[in-house]
Amino acid sequence: METNNYSIETENLNLWYGDFQALIDVNVKVLSGQITSLIGPSGCGKTTLLRCFNRVNERYGNVTTKGEIQILGKNIYDADVSLPELRKTVGMVFQRPNPLPISVYENVLFGLRIHSPMRSFTRTEADQIVEEALTSVFLWDDLKDKLKTRATSLQLEQQQKLCIARLLPLKPKIILMDEPCSALDAKGTLAVEELMAVLAGSYTFLIVTHNMAQARRVSNECIFMFLGELIEHRETQALFETPEHPKTEDYVQMRYG
Amino acid sequence: MEKTKPIFHSIALIVLIVIFLLFWHFSKEADAVKPTSETMPTLFSHLSVMLSVSLLAIPLAFGCTFYIEEWLAETNWIRRFIESKVAILEAIPSLLYGLLVVLLFIFQSDNTLLVLGTLTFVLIVLPVVMQTTRRALRSIPTPMREAAYALGANRGRVLAEQVVRPALPAILVGACRGMSRALATAALLIGIHAWGYTTDITVSRDTLTKFLLFLGGALLLSVPFSLRNQR
Repeated sequence: METNNYSIETENLNLWYGDFQALIDVNVKVLSGQITSLIGPSGCGKTTLLRCFNRVNERYGNVTTKGEIQILGKNIYDADVSLPELRKTVGMVFQRPNPLPISVYENVLFGLRIHSPMRSFTRTEADQIVEEALTSVFLWDDLKDKLKTRATSLQLEQQQKLCIARLLPLKPKIILMDEPCSALDAKGTLAVEELMAVLAGSYTFLIVTHNMAQARRVSNECIFMFLGELIEHRETQALFETPEHPKTEDYVQMRYG
Repeated sequence: MEKTKPIFHSIALIVLIVIFLLFWHFSKEADAVKPTSETMPTLFSHLSVMLSVSLLAIPLAFGCTFYIEEWLAETNWIRRFIESKVAILEAIPSLLYGLLVVLLFIFQSDNTLLVLGTLTFVLIVLPVVMQTTRRALRSIPTPMREAAYALGANRGRVLAEQVVRPALPAILVGACRGMSRALATAALLIGIHAWGYTTDITVSRDTLTKFLLFLGGALLLSVPFSLRNQR
């Protein structure tokens, strides 16, 4: 399916909440297997853009979308696209850790249970899947004795890692993150960032962040948005050091100047 | 504040006792045929009311609320309309429902049916259960739902596993509230129903109808005010 090395491509994407236009002619290409960060002031449409990619924001009811979004070369607004399949390919991590109110074990398996028919995997297979997922987010050692506890009783950092872990059994291609560290302390942030760096090769990450130091640390490419428009999309280093657009320069220097 | 409370309570108690004595006195006066007051029929009536309500009103209320809350968008006009009306209906005393049914159905068709009684109870219980269920569903934060949606779950699955399961205690409390409201109303009716047989109602149907129409008009007029206070 993959004809080029872009995971996500949008073409003249416009989006309205009722009468309010939240995205204006957004054209963006996100590289596969890289970490791309989205920065910009609050209300500039970062989260909205992110939520378009797995069509979660359709739930609001008053959303009108025009334009095209190609994910792995397929337009996600085509009639034959199934939402569960799309959301299987494009995983999402939210701002506040939101593990489901069930056990840690069931949290990891939840996605898989949705997407596979009943009893398609055995107990031992399930155990193995859980172990693999938790190992790859460095949680297995901490949680191997607590698999039956409620996920909502874990520490916030562990909860957020679990939210990443529960995407992995579905083998997504793209992982969207909406300010994944804003509810975490410095140590938790570092842990999640390290995790992203490790996973980056095999998944495409798109991360919304208000923390510009974080954008600089973790991402290969950086997108700056302002009032619904995409202003600048370049390599992170270049965007921060030699911004082309005056608005980008203002925003970047506001924090650094 | 705290000192006036016991006084208030004792006054209320005295008033209640006086009312009870008056009723008791007049019941002896007007008593032509002594109403039979056995335990079994009363118990049976209570049970039948509970059964009909729990079979009809509660599933209906659950279904409506689940649909409105989880399927309809927040901006949907049907949802807005129903939400505001249910909030008002919840607060209306059951007596008015009884009067409404008498006026609308029983006077018009000249026959009293058990179905009408049951439907009245459904009408009384519905807003109560709907409102409590709605609050229970609202107590589940949206990110929890989105977590499941983002993993590819469909609405039914999200509803059953992520919303109803954690909200179940609160939802059941709503069902209990609905049933107890129906029972409290039914207990009154079953207690009072003997009066219908023993005392002669001298008010003519016309006067009663006029009174009911007046009452209905007053209620309708009060709706805009209650709407304004809600926001």
